[in-house]
Amino acid sequence: MRSLLNFLLRYKNLIIFFILEAVALVMISSSHDYHQSVTFGAARSVTGFVAKRVENGHSYFNLRHVNDELVSENLMLRRRIEDLEAVPQTGFTAKKDTLSGITYNYLSARVINNSVNKQKNFITLDKGTRHGVTTGMGVASSAGVVGVVVGVSRNYSVAMSLLNTDFKLSASIARNDYFGSLAWDGRNHRYAQLSEIPHHVAVTEGDTIVTSGYSAIYPAGLMVGTLTGDQKRGGDFVTLKVLLSADFKKLTNVYLIGNLTRNERETLEKEVTNE
Amino acid sequence: MISFVVLIILQLLIFNNIQFSGFVNPYVYVMFILILPMAIPTWILLLFSFMTGIVIDIFAGTMGVHAFATVMAGFVRPWVLSLNITAEASDPEMSPSSHTSGLRWFFIYTVTVVFIHHFSLFFVEVFGFTNFFHTLLRVLLSTMVTTFFIILFDIIRPRR
Repeated sequence: MRSLLNFLLRYKNLIIFFILEAVALVMISSSHDYHQSVTFGAARSVTGFVAKRVENGHSYFNLRHVNDELVSENLMLRRRIEDLEAVPQTGFTAKKDTLSGITYNYLSARVINNSVNKQKNFITLDKGTRHGVTTGMGVASSAGVVGVVVGVSRNYSVAMSLLNTDFKLSASIARNDYFGSLAWDGRNHRYAQLSEIPHHVAVTEGDTIVTSGYSAIYPAGLMVGTLTGDQKRGGDFVTLKVLLSADFKKLTNVYLIGNLTRNERETLEKEVTNE
Repeated sequence: MISFVVLIILQLLIFNNIQFSGFVNPYVYVMFILILPMAIPTWILLLFSFMTGIVIDIFAGTMGVHAFATVMAGFVRPWVLSLNITAEASDPEMSPSSHTSGLRWFFIYTVTVVFIHHFSLFFVEVFGFTNFFHTLLRVLLSTMVTTFFIILFDIIRPRR
């Protein structure tokens, strides 16, 4: 007994240290429990009060930024009013693409979930079947192509982002109409690769890359990005590095693009190729 | 005690809101542990550390993480003190400070304890060694910033 006491006294600091660290670890590992949230409910109302005061001060310093955002949103809303007044109907507005005769529908949506740091990124939008969204619709922001809808529920839809290694897009160089396949290599969220461009095509830095319109998802001539000048040669083709015009890190408002004649076109194309 | 309250308030109102790109999160409240008197018994030091950590935890909503790291800092403090004790810094009633022991001494002392605190804090927060170098970079950058502020506060601290 004496020796035990002596032991405890000699190592009391070490013992206290281990007990306290053990208590801390238990607290960390149980911090998601419901009971814990009840125990600290009282403390939380105090911290909530303080946090709210701090947030009030914080939001004051953010006012300039918030203002900028509101101004640009206002501008966008004004533009949309113009659009709506031109066509007296709500929801979908129809635009006639006179070049190819395909009619595309546009519907605005808000990005409510988004990522850029994975290999297969998806974007969640706040419009679903209730608003007329179907899978296969294109998604674009005012800056450029964003993705394609792959799943729809009643109120939401999920789009495969252009920043998804499974995403392929038929894109062409606006200046000379040579087309290739655009895909993301999974590295930098600002750049994508345009492959299958023949050797002899003369390209310069800054050339505009647009959608080719071959896929029936996007109308032809929709902005995708600009060439950076970097290129990789291999085989008969060149792969060009494209700076995407849409900044995926700050996507908020996007447009859904529906092709009214898509079924007709695809049925025809299938018929012909099957014969 | 006044320094405790001042440091906690400073931490909660200002330093918890500094987050440069997620890499720099200074935690200056560790200074309270640093400036306790030299001769304080270790077990009291440990209890103080735990309490300080818990208070920060309650306000930050990270139960136990700060408590763990601060107890770790309190535990290594006597060793760090004994490791680089100097003749001038041997008065047991004094609290460690750059005024009594020199800036160089105080810097080494602060940087060591703060590094150990931040190291355990960030790694317990991540709860593992995935992205080891990313976390280590956060530890190093935050240690630099925290040390800077602690030395600054020590210089402007009123002397008795």
